[in-house]
Amino acid sequence: MEQIAPHFVELAASNVVGLLLIGFVGGLVSGFIGSGGAFVLTPAMMSLGVPAVVAVASNICHKFPKALVGAYRRHRFGQVDVKLGLVMSASAAAGVWVGADVQNAIKESFGEAGSNLYVSLAFVIVLVLVGSFVLHDAIGSLRSDARGAQEVTSRLARWVQSIEIPYTMMHFKTSKVRVSALFTIPLGFATGMLAATIAVGGFIGVPGMMYVLGAPALVASATELVIAFVMGLGGTIKYALHGLVDIRLALILLAGSLFGVQLGAIGTTYVKPYVIKLVMAAIMLIVAVSRGLVAPVYLAQLGVIDLGGAMMRWLPMLSFAFMVLGLCVGGFIIIGAMLRGHRAMLLQDRQQAVEIK
Amino acid sequence: MTKGRLYLKLGVSGAVSASHYFVLYLYEREVLESFTRTDGLYPALPIVAAFVFSFAHGAFTAYFWEALGVTPRRPEA
Repeated sequence: MEQIAPHFVELAASNVVGLLLIGFVGGLVSGFIGSGGAFVLTPAMMSLGVPAVVAVASNICHKFPKALVGAYRRHRFGQVDVKLGLVMSASAAAGVWVGADVQNAIKESFGEAGSNLYVSLAFVIVLVLVGSFVLHDAIGSLRSDARGAQEVTSRLARWVQSIEIPYTMMHFKTSKVRVSALFTIPLGFATGMLAATIAVGGFIGVPGMMYVLGAPALVASATELVIAFVMGLGGTIKYALHGLVDIRLALILLAGSLFGVQLGAIGTTYVKPYVIKLVMAAIMLIVAVSRGLVAPVYLAQLGVIDLGGAMMRWLPMLSFAFMVLGLCVGGFIIIGAMLRGHRAMLLQDRQQAVEIK
Repeated sequence: MTKGRLYLKLGVSGAVSASHYFVLYLYEREVLESFTRTDGLYPALPIVAAFVFSFAHGAFTAYFWEALGVTPRRPEA
């Protein structure tokens, strides 16, 4: 067989099956919580020998059509706030731009290891802080749900909604919130910055829409798909102009992820809002552990600490295993919650049938 | 939608989606060469392909879950 251009790898059947499976679980999580999966897909492709920049480009090229299909499906369930998604996307685009510049500046000053360390630390700090908060809220929501209470708007969101700044007020119909654009701009910007740094802006975007703006969890997670579509499309254009997209990888991932994203979107109609928060918190905290594990390797590469050869080999592998675990845990919670919701629905239908008789 | 009509849509969208992937497999090298060119309108190819595949394969996956009985709890708009 002829040699394909150096930065595009040969694909074995086992690699294709692996990409389909990981694409499916990534799609399932994205369809359900609005983001996620990207953090596993890029390292998974790199483990096949795909250069980092091609892995990022191919991942982003599969992300925007996946987000489009997910957003369309959830829009049909009445969960997407298109206006909020587009407003957030505008400032997210600026965030991606600045985030990429910061990344490049760090790479030029501290090299590849410095850049990797920055990404890992951003992962750990953001995911531990936001993930713990989301987990705390998910547990609180679970308890109040057991008492039959409705989803509560956070104190911060109530304050944000109470601030009236003339000429900047926007009404978001699906989210049922009226807030100043001066609050959505920094939130979208932070989402874009995080997307440019760790590839998953939704870990800021979704909690931000829930806790800062006061959007319901279902609407926030669905609206994130609009932001992911806009950012993914922009990113793909940028990488395609440099000829870096391996379309085979993107389309193989898409083959698996579209099955997942449809299932994840359907899953949201069976679960209570706290399940979305629970899945998000579980994934965020496990991924934080994963990135924390690999941070010493980059510190050793920078000469800050000394690590043995075995540790330098094992820690990245352990880190990748934790990433896959994070994605799988999310997938299991979603499937489990869907099955429980389906069973409850059947039971309810049966009871109604008995009452009618 | 009746079962027959659902299976027809599943079959047609599945055939369209499979044919796209078959063409990609058959012309892997040619596709890679043209999709990584940076001159003219060639950079638009990955974006167009992603849209085309998502419409065909997206339709197939939706019918696939519906045929298996995995449908949303609340009715779609």
